[in-house]
Amino acid sequence: MTQAEIKLCSLLLQEHFGEIVEKIGVHLIRTGSQPLRVIAHDTRTSPDQVKKALCVLIQHNLVTYQVHKRGTVEYEAQCSRLLRMLRYPRYIYTAKTLYSDTGELLVEELLLNGKMTMSALVKRVADRLTETMEDGKTMDYAEVSSTFVRLADTHFVQRCPLVSPTENSEPGPPQPAPTLVINENDMYLVPKLSLIGKGKRRRSSEDDATGEPKAKRLKHSTDNKEPIPDDGIYWQANLDRFHQHFRDQAIVSAVANRMDQTSSEIVRTMLRMSEITTPSGAPFTQPLSSNEIFRSLPTGYNISKQVLDQYLTLLADDPLEFVGKSGDSGGGMYVINLHKVLGSLATATLESVVQERFGSRCARIFRLVLQKKHLEQKQVEDFAMIPAKEAKDMLYKMLSENFILLQEIPKTPDHAPSRTFYLYTVNILSAARMLLHRCYKSVANLIERRQFETKENKRLLEKSQRVEAIIASMQATGAEEAQLQEIEEMITAPERQQIETLKRNVNKLDASEIQVDETIFLLESYIESNTKRQ
Amino acid sequence: MAEVKVKLQPPDADPVEIENRIIELCHQFPHGITDQVIQNEMPHIEAQQRAVAINRLLSMGQLDLLRSNTGLLYRIKDSQNAGPVSFFLSKMKGSDNQEKLVYQIIEDAGNKGIWSRDIRYKSNLPLTEINKILKNLESKKLIKAVKSVAASKKKVYMLYNLQPDRSVTGGAWYSDQDFESEFVEVLNQQCFKFLQTKAETARESKQNPMIQRNSSFASSHEVWKYICELGISKVELSMEDIETILNTLIYDGKVEMTIIAAKEGTVGSVDGHMKLYRAVNPIIPPTGLVRTPCGLCPVFDDCHEGGEISPSNCIYMTEWLEF
Repeated sequence: MTQAEIKLCSLLLQEHFGEIVEKIGVHLIRTGSQPLRVIAHDTRTSPDQVKKALCVLIQHNLVTYQVHKRGTVEYEAQCSRLLRMLRYPRYIYTAKTLYSDTGELLVEELLLNGKMTMSALVKRVADRLTETMEDGKTMDYAEVSSTFVRLADTHFVQRCPLVSPTENSEPGPPQPAPTLVINENDMYLVPKLSLIGKGKRRRSSEDDATGEPKAKRLKHSTDNKEPIPDDGIYWQANLDRFHQHFRDQAIVSAVANRMDQTSSEIVRTMLRMSEITTPSGAPFTQPLSSNEIFRSLPTGYNISKQVLDQYLTLLADDPLEFVGKSGDSGGGMYVINLHKVLGSLATATLESVVQERFGSRCARIFRLVLQKKHLEQKQVEDFAMIPAKEAKDMLYKMLSENFILLQEIPKTPDHAPSRTFYLYTVNILSAARMLLHRCYKSVANLIERRQFETKENKRLLEKSQRVEAIIASMQATGAEEAQLQEIEEMITAPERQQIETLKRNVNKLDASEIQVDETIFLLESYIESNTKRQ
Repeated sequence: MAEVKVKLQPPDADPVEIENRIIELCHQFPHGITDQVIQNEMPHIEAQQRAVAINRLLSMGQLDLLRSNTGLLYRIKDSQNAGPVSFFLSKMKGSDNQEKLVYQIIEDAGNKGIWSRDIRYKSNLPLTEINKILKNLESKKLIKAVKSVAASKKKVYMLYNLQPDRSVTGGAWYSDQDFESEFVEVLNQQCFKFLQTKAETARESKQNPMIQRNSSFASSHEVWKYICELGISKVELSMEDIETILNTLIYDGKVEMTIIAAKEGTVGSVDGHMKLYRAVNPIIPPTGLVRTPCGLCPVFDDCHEGGEISPSNCIYMTEWLEF
C-alpha cells in the first residue's frame, strides 16, 4: 500500500474507532498478515487490547483471519475495504433515494455495526423511526421488515458467511478458528421471521439523573423475550452491489449529457434489467432484445415501438459505443459495453483534470495525443493549431506531471539524439493510477484540515455545547424567558459568528471529501476492470 | 618522291551541314540516337568532326545528352523547352556553365524550392562558388530566396516568377512567417457557434429522434460556405482549411465527427464520402478532484503534515473556505 493510502486509512480508523484500533489496523496494513502474539509485541499493546481491537475490525469486515497449517491463526487487513469507509455517506444516501427513510436507516445501522441479525436490526430501526415520528404514532416492525426483504431481494444486503455445520461433528481437537462458508444460493435468502411489535419510543421524561433504574428496566425487558429466532444468521451490506448502482448512475448521466433524456431512460431500463443477471466484473451485460426493453420501460414513458427502435439504433451507432448490437433476434439484441464505458469515463476524468489544471489549450493537446496515439512535436503543433513555442511549453509541462509520456524510436543503434524520433503518447492506465494516488492524498489532506479546524476552535465548541445543555435542562424544568435570554448571551455575537463559520467550513470540507470520492470511484472501477481483463 | 597524302575532303563536310543532318536524324528518331547511328548515316565524316558538331548542338541547347545502357543517346530537345531556354540563353549568354547548371537544378525543384546545401550536393560545386553563383542569379532576377516557415533560418531558392508552395509559407494560417493565433481562435469560435445553433434548433424541433439527429449534423461543405459568407477572413479559405479548424474543435472535445458515404455528385463530397460534424456536450461535469484546492495545487508534492506546507496552514484552502 502506498504511503498516501496508509495515511488515509489511519485517519479513517481514528475517526471511526479510536486510537487503539487505529494503531493495530495501521500496523496490520503495513506488515501484512500476522499472528496475535506478534501484533501485541510489535505494537507494544497488551494482548487483551489487541484482541478487542481485532474483534472490532473483524466485526466490520476490515480484517480477515486465516488458519495456517501449523495451527496458528494469522490476521490480515483488507486495505481496499478500509478505504470504503469514506464512501459510507454515499451508500446511505443511495438507500435513501431508493427505499426512503426506512431503507436509509437500515443501511446506516448495518454499516455502523458491521454485521447484525435481522431481528435486532429491524427492532433498532423501528425504535429510531418511532422517535422521529409525532407523538402517539409508532413504527410497525412489519413495515421495516418488508423494506429489509426488498433490500435483500435486490441484493443490497447479503448474509455473512456462517460457521460450517460439519465442523462440530468432527472428532479431534477443536480448530483454533472456525472456517466460514456460505452457499451462493443462500446469500440473499431472508429467514421466515414473524416479527411482531412496534417501535418503542425512548421518552425523555424517564431520563433520570442516574441511568441505573433505566438500565435495570431495559435488562429486565430483554430477559423476558424468547431467544431470538434467527440467531447466527448475520447480515452485512453488499458493497459490490452499491458500486454497481453507482456505475449505472454514471452511465445514465453520461448518456443524458451526450444525447437526450429519453435515451438515458432507455439505458437505465436496460441496466435495471441486467442488474441481477450480470456478474459485477463482466465486460458486457446480457443481451436484451428490443421487445423485452419495450415491455420493461417505465409506464410513464409512452413511446411507440418504432421510436424505441430508432433510439436503440441511434445509441448503437453513436461514436461513444456505449451500446452495441449483438444480434437481430427478437427485434434486435442490444448489450451495454461496460468496459468501454468505464474507459470513457476515466478518460473524461483525466481530460477534465488536465483542463482545470493547465488550461483548455493543454486539454486540446492532451486529447489530440490521446486520439492519435503517437505524435511528433511538429505534428502536435500542426494539428492543434497552436504556435510552436506555446505548444512546446505545454507539452513539457504535462510531461513533467506525468500525464504524457515520451517514446524514443532510434534510427541508429547508437541512439544519437539528433537521429532519434521522439513521440508523445498517453498511457491511460498509468495516468489513472497516478491520479488515484493524488486523490487519496487529497482526501487525507481534507480530513486533516477538518480536524485541525475543529481542534482550533475546540474551546469555543465546548462552551457552546455547555450553554446548550444548560438551556435544555432549564427549559425542561420550566425556566423563565429572561433567564434563558441571559444564558444565551453568554455566547457573544462574534463567537456565534465564529461557530457559524466553523460549521460552514467543516461542512464544505466534508462535502469535498465526498466529491473527491466520486473521482476515486470512477478511477478505481476503471483500473479494476482493466486489470481483471489482463 | 614524297607522296602527298591528300585528304579527300568529302563534299558535305561543312560543319553546319553536319549539324543539320544530325538534327534531322534526331527528328526521325525522337527517342534518341546513338553515336553509332550517326556514324552509319554519315560514314564519311570523321569522328572528330562529329564530336565537334554534337558539342555545338549540345551547347546551343538543341540536343539532350542521355545515357542509356548501351551508351550515350542524343535526343532532340522538345520545342516547349526550347522556348524558355532560348530566352534564358539570351540572358545568360555571358554566364558560364556552372551557373547554367545551378539554374537547372533550381528549376527542377519546382515551387517547393531547394536549399543551398542540396544544390551543392547535386552540382558537386564548392560552397564559395555556389554562393557567388546564387548572388549572381539573384541580382539578375532569375531566382529568389523564400524563408521557410518550418525552420526560420533556412532559405530555399526557387525561380523568380513561381509562387511558393503551401508547405513553405504555411498556407492560410501564416502571414509573413507569423502564426496567426487570433485568426485561428476566431474561426474556431465561429464554427463552434454555427454547429451549436444547428444542434439546438434540431433538438427543439422535437421530431422523431432519427430526423433530430440527422438535422443536427453539418457537413464540412456547409460550414465552409457559412464561414465564406461571414467574410471574417481576408484570405481565401479552402475546404481543407476549414476541416483543420473543425479538427481542432474535435480535440477540444466540443464537436464529434462521422463520415458517411455519399454519391459522387453531391455537393461537398470528396472521393465518395462526406464528413459530418455535430456539437456535443461533455459526458461528465468537472470531476470532484478539481473542485478541491488539492486537485489544482502546484506544490502538492511538497505538502505533508508538520512541514512548511501542510494541510493545516494551506493558504489555498484558507482562501477557498472563505468563499
